Amino acid sequence: MWSHLSIFATRVADYIAICAGDLSSEHRGHPEFQSHADIEFNGLALMLFTLQFDHNRAYRKLCEARKITPENVTHWSQIPAAPTAAFKELELTSFPADKRTQVFHSSGTTGQTPSRHFHSNESLAIYEASLLAWFRFHVPPQKNLAILTPPSSAAPNSSLVHMFEVIRRDFAASANTFLGILAADHSWTLNFESARAALNDAVQSGQPMLIFGTAFSFVQLLDYLAEKNLRGQLPPGSRVMETGGYKNRSRALPKSELHALITDRLGVPASHILCEYGMSELSSQAYDLGNRQSTSGNRHFHFPPWARAQIVSPETGREVRDGETGLLRIFDLANVFSVLAVQTEDLAIRRGDGFELVGRAEQSEPRGCSLMTA
Amino acid sequence: MNLPNYFLADLPPEAALTAAMVTDACQTLKRNRESYLANQSTQSRVEILCGVAENWLQADYPFRKMVLEQGPAATGFSRATLANGLDNFFRQFTLENFNALLVQELGHARRLDEIVANSAEEKISRGAMARGPEFLAHIAAGNLPNPTLMSIALGVLTRSAQFVKCASGASFIPRLFAHSLYDAEPKLGACLEIAEWRGGRGDIEKALFEEADCVTATGSDETLAAIRHHVPERTRLLGYGHRLSFGYVAGDALSSFQARKTVVRAASDIVAWNQLGCLSPHVIYVEHGGAVAAEQFAEMLAEELARREETEPRGEVTTETAATIASRRGFYEVRAAHSPDTRFWHSENSTAWTVVYEADARFQLSCLNRFIYVKGASDLKAVLAGADAFRGKVSTVGIAAGEEKSRALAAQLAAWGVTRICPLGQMQNPPLTWRHDGRPALGDLVTWVDWER
Repeated sequence: MWSHLSIFATRVADYIAICAGDLSSEHRGHPEFQSHADIEFNGLALMLFTLQFDHNRAYRKLCEARKITPENVTHWSQIPAAPTAAFKELELTSFPADKRTQVFHSSGTTGQTPSRHFHSNESLAIYEASLLAWFRFHVPPQKNLAILTPPSSAAPNSSLVHMFEVIRRDFAASANTFLGILAADHSWTLNFESARAALNDAVQSGQPMLIFGTAFSFVQLLDYLAEKNLRGQLPPGSRVMETGGYKNRSRALPKSELHALITDRLGVPASHILCEYGMSELSSQAYDLGNRQSTSGNRHFHFPPWARAQIVSPETGREVRDGETGLLRIFDLANVFSVLAVQTEDLAIRRGDGFELVGRAEQSEPRGCSLMTA
Repeated sequence: MNLPNYFLADLPPEAALTAAMVTDACQTLKRNRESYLANQSTQSRVEILCGVAENWLQADYPFRKMVLEQGPAATGFSRATLANGLDNFFRQFTLENFNALLVQELGHARRLDEIVANSAEEKISRGAMARGPEFLAHIAAGNLPNPTLMSIALGVLTRSAQFVKCASGASFIPRLFAHSLYDAEPKLGACLEIAEWRGGRGDIEKALFEEADCVTATGSDETLAAIRHHVPERTRLLGYGHRLSFGYVAGDALSSFQARKTVVRAASDIVAWNQLGCLSPHVIYVEHGGAVAAEQFAEMLAEELARREETEPRGEVTTETAATIASRRGFYEVRAAHSPDTRFWHSENSTAWTVVYEADARFQLSCLNRFIYVKGASDLKAVLAGADAFRGKVSTVGIAAGEEKSRALAAQLAAWGVTRICPLGQMQNPPLTWRHDGRPALGDLVTWVDWER
């Protein structure tokens, strides 16, 4: 049944490879190039929507409730976006149970039901193709990695850890680069001694280092360094990639402050700090640096050409104007076996063809005993 | 209409408040009270309050006009919502109602004026009088204005100098009410201060609490805990934490003749102050066995809310609030697409109103702003079992039921710990004699003097 999707998956893989080749092309940005790319994206998105409508039962019901079928959709922006809540409530996948070899959970706050994104080797292959093509465009390969999360063995359902593991393998870095561990309560913390040793080695050897982590893992590391009164100058060419929120796991810092602290304690300048936006429900990621940096100097997130973001008004569901705030909606062709259109609960400001993250809608999932609004 | 700078809240936003300014203001208020307000009779205070309320009910009253014209931008409430809210509130201000309040809470209408005895006290040869605080400070919550106006009115009755600290962005209506008092009686207005700052300004709050002999505070548990920490031991603190409310429709209020009226009442409670008060319902429970099923009730309620939107629109909300509503709608859309136990109706192209029907009778917190749950329930017992996590936090239950049934429901709710039971449709209109969260609002302010003859 899903063989149609399998065939389509190879088409998406090809498309990603072609787009990746074009990323550095000087034609990119030309109106004619863009219009061609739009037509291509639209064609693939509509085809994928038809397949998902046919093969993903839970999604089909949602579309039918909205009275939208492939027959009345002519543009990718009309494809019904599944709320992230649907990943919690339903099995939003085209895979039969025996094909699901992996599941990624969202890392919501305690007490929330996590999202579940089911994968197989086939879908993971597309995920990895998408991840690597866009990541390589932003970060040159480096063998010297420090990853501030636990390894896959300790966090098998984390798409973020999987992402770091894929990059680690791609960069042929040592498996001992995961510096995170699980605390007694299963929350993520750091092996501070190993982290300190890894940073020391980098400083001593003069070999640039690439550090990956969540915002809260960086705060944990920086707090540790501050407590020990340690400050290092990582070799030139070192980079930091930081992602995600805090989820009450550490004190929360505004981005600019976090980045200033990273520069201060680790010696990595802002130009070498990359932010990532990703979620377990997607197969592609957005980054906020690269050669498409806005003219205003503000850092805006961009998805790769095989995924598109729209910022929609929460009142009307229609795309907002440039500079306005709304909810982020993503159309990701690499989400072949789940749903390509995902409605997030993240607020963002539309900035050209990119976006600026604002935060998450509060308490959208109804749950337990909280008297926040009474 | 330009308002004179009588109050700190009248100052331009760039004028930074300091602890010294607050201390200075408090001392002036006390002096003004001593030389005027302390010597006024209860009767004269009631007359002033009723006179001002009468003005507020007049269409051409400048302060009212100002609230209705500038209020939508300043508060987010639509003109119609503001007009209804103000009317329902100020209509309560009558000589009879104030008299009833004084007798209820203090046992005698002249208790604040001199040592008096009611007939029960006569029999045991005793008399008593009650004295209000010299200086009363209010820390007001920001969601809706009328609790703040009520606090001010009670402080006028007790002839206290008053300092009202409004939540940031929430001083507009209290400020205009204060101006209306000033306009009616400048010397009374001179015993009142209105200021606005973002909570947590320890230095100014400390200065304020130092001067007060009684503090009332409304807000979240965290806000109250923080205030409790800063109020000196000698100062009385009356804290009103957040509460929540729901509606209950009994089967006998759902005859085909009654059902429509009941739906209209439920809608009134949802529309009033956009459901933002502690007395606004999160859920309307509909008892099984009536002529109209819960699901059908929900559909009728959706139609009524759509109609109300025409005459009494919700008004604008922030993008964050709209995003919360939109995301929560997304959640129920998913459920509704997959299970007949959930259905939902909502305004098109806006987040103005949402009705979610769920067969599951467990209590659910709404994100408010006219987002209501309708749930079926076999009886009140099942409802209370499903709301157990919120026991002790429920303020009001609005009920629609016949006379006899109402009595039985009230007894059950009282035993469970609900502090106010009222007819559906009246949830946001507590009478002047309402005991706030089960406490005598006026009675808690005073200190008694007993005279045993």
